[in-house]
Amino acid sequence: MSSSEAFCCGIDLGGTKLAAALGDSSGALLHEFVEPTDPRGGLHVAEQLVAAVRRLGAMTEGLRGEVSAVVVGVPGVVAPRSQRISQIPHIRGFEDLDVAAFLSDRLGTRIELHNDVNLAMLGEHALGGAVGCQHAAFLSLGTGAGLGLLLNGRLFSGATGAAGEIADLPQGRLSDGMTVTLEAEVGSQATVDRYRRAGGTGVSTVRELFTRANDGDAVAGRVLDETARHVAQAIVALQSILDLERVVLGGSIGVRPELLLRIERAIGALTHRPIRIGPSELGDRAGLRGALWAAGLALRAGSA
Amino acid sequence: MAIPVANVTRQLSSRTVFDALLHRSPISRAALAKVTGLSKQTTSEVIDTFVRQGLVRPAGRTRGNVGRTAVLYELSPDGGHALGIDLGARRLTVALADLAGRVLAERSEPTDPRGGAWVLDQIAYLAERLARENNTHPSRIRSIVLGTPGVVNPRNGTIELAPNISDLGHLNVVSLLTEKLGSAVVLENDINLALLGEIWHGCAQHVANIAYLSLGSGVGLGLYINGHLVRGENGAAGEIGYLPIGGDPLMAESREQGCLEYQVGAAGVLRRYRAAGGTVASTALEVFEQAAAGEPSAVQVVGQTAHLIGLAASAVVAVLDPQILVLGGSLGARPELAARVAAVLGSLAPRPVEVRTSTLGSRAGVVGALSVALRRLHEEFFGGSDLATALPLRLPPPRAA
Repeated sequence: MSSSEAFCCGIDLGGTKLAAALGDSSGALLHEFVEPTDPRGGLHVAEQLVAAVRRLGAMTEGLRGEVSAVVVGVPGVVAPRSQRISQIPHIRGFEDLDVAAFLSDRLGTRIELHNDVNLAMLGEHALGGAVGCQHAAFLSLGTGAGLGLLLNGRLFSGATGAAGEIADLPQGRLSDGMTVTLEAEVGSQATVDRYRRAGGTGVSTVRELFTRANDGDAVAGRVLDETARHVAQAIVALQSILDLERVVLGGSIGVRPELLLRIERAIGALTHRPIRIGPSELGDRAGLRGALWAAGLALRAGSA
Repeated sequence: MAIPVANVTRQLSSRTVFDALLHRSPISRAALAKVTGLSKQTTSEVIDTFVRQGLVRPAGRTRGNVGRTAVLYELSPDGGHALGIDLGARRLTVALADLAGRVLAERSEPTDPRGGAWVLDQIAYLAERLARENNTHPSRIRSIVLGTPGVVNPRNGTIELAPNISDLGHLNVVSLLTEKLGSAVVLENDINLALLGEIWHGCAQHVANIAYLSLGSGVGLGLYINGHLVRGENGAAGEIGYLPIGGDPLMAESREQGCLEYQVGAAGVLRRYRAAGGTVASTALEVFEQAAAGEPSAVQVVGQTAHLIGLAASAVVAVLDPQILVLGGSLGARPELAARVAAVLGSLAPRPVEVRTSTLGSRAGVVGALSVALRRLHEEFFGGSDLATALPLRLPPPRAA
């Protein structure tokens, strides 16, 4: 036994909030906190990540240990070897920054960056609704649409880290030569816009739209039906490509049971092959738990 | 579950020596010891065992400068044979290779249109003839892989969703063929095998992440991810005929045949050609040939087809981010397609992806079947399948007989 114990740290960095967790070498969760993401982006957010790790590290002093592995999930594409981040519209200035190098320089420890939805997939595989699966996907629906993939029992992030970047997934009827894409149909803004086009007023968020639909607003119900139909098409597309055991739905819109029911109905109209879908069991903590799990793996691999 | 350490060590030595023989024959004992890092004694023990088993034979002597010459060894051509079979709706192709991976013979003929048991008889007859023509007793064929359209059920060896060959789905193809051929038959989806063929001998060598999009009688996808095939939960990964692209996914035809397949499968190409007023071509391939000759209806239909394949490719790239996308199959490998598919991808995909056209063409499936059959033969003879992950055997580089 060494005199100081090793700890690990997982962070889920979002456009509006940052969630951080401390775990022991077995990956067990010891502590977590959430704070708003620094809206100034760039170096300010990088410094915020450093401060978050230090804050968690301070908690280990009483335990005579230190943080030896850090995994950060980011809402963008992470290149596999260089760890450089791209396609990250919600955090300004992160594309121009070598975040991994900055963090490992400041913290003096191992850093891994991953796409946040990939980590959510990992979290569900380790602790949630995809335990024991060899082939599964985590479909995140909120402001945008993203996908994490588990193939042959392992997380797969693509040749350049861009697997599951399905905002541009072609959708729907294409005989007229028009190509509509998934995010343009199911993103929260697209859903609200569809309600307005149908004559609905006084709604600015999807959350309000759900409330309207639940209160019997037929237009709101039809708008959600339409969003669900596009999600169902994406899931059928996914299933035809990958033959998954389970599709886990997450994200602020994806976890709503009202939508899930509509998606299941729409899938039934599209295919007679059953597709198992279900809501994220870890909810909005899937990405954080996945990050901590990955950090635990990195810690054990590093000390082995 | 634990394997005795002595066994593991012996298996590792066997595999290491075999790998060197596969890639460096003919080779002396001293050179084998040098390249494997094993002791001369261990190397000699392994070689002696292989020679006793008839898997390795002497192949002349080194031409020495000074001093004694040494015996050279190579894999014995009679050590055992591998058979690859590609069973298509129209054509049946069979290829035979020796232990060292030399392709000895390849034969192709029209698939028996009566389907079912007739096709299985045809396969057995062709395999036997190929063996005898190469002075090999059929019993020397020790490893057989059959590629077939449709979804191979990984649990019971039956074929599902194989609408293009009649009555095949009712039969237990694995046990019937194993009985006829006298050696275990392994079934694999034909498109997966075509992909493995391109990886071994074709346009996709040394690439770890590949999407192989095949267009022929039907449309399908093979996926190779981090060095492994992706078959999915029920063996149905890559059945992209069911992509909701190209038409109304709620139509009965879309639900039954698949939305994309209904449009771009060979039958769909011909149907759309006739609907566009085309009268000259009577097969999908002829529609492509007419398009190349400038016939307006054919040009229109091939253009639409390329566009739809481009959209399907865009969906695959968005989901999987492969390093390369390979176009194959009797229609997919047509020169008309690649540039247009790349153009659609360029307009939709967030990043460029390299599009390659199959270099093996219609041979891809049988070459892939042979590569899997060889790998299984090597695993059987050179043991230690427990070690397959730790020390995978590499297939020999491409070479003809």
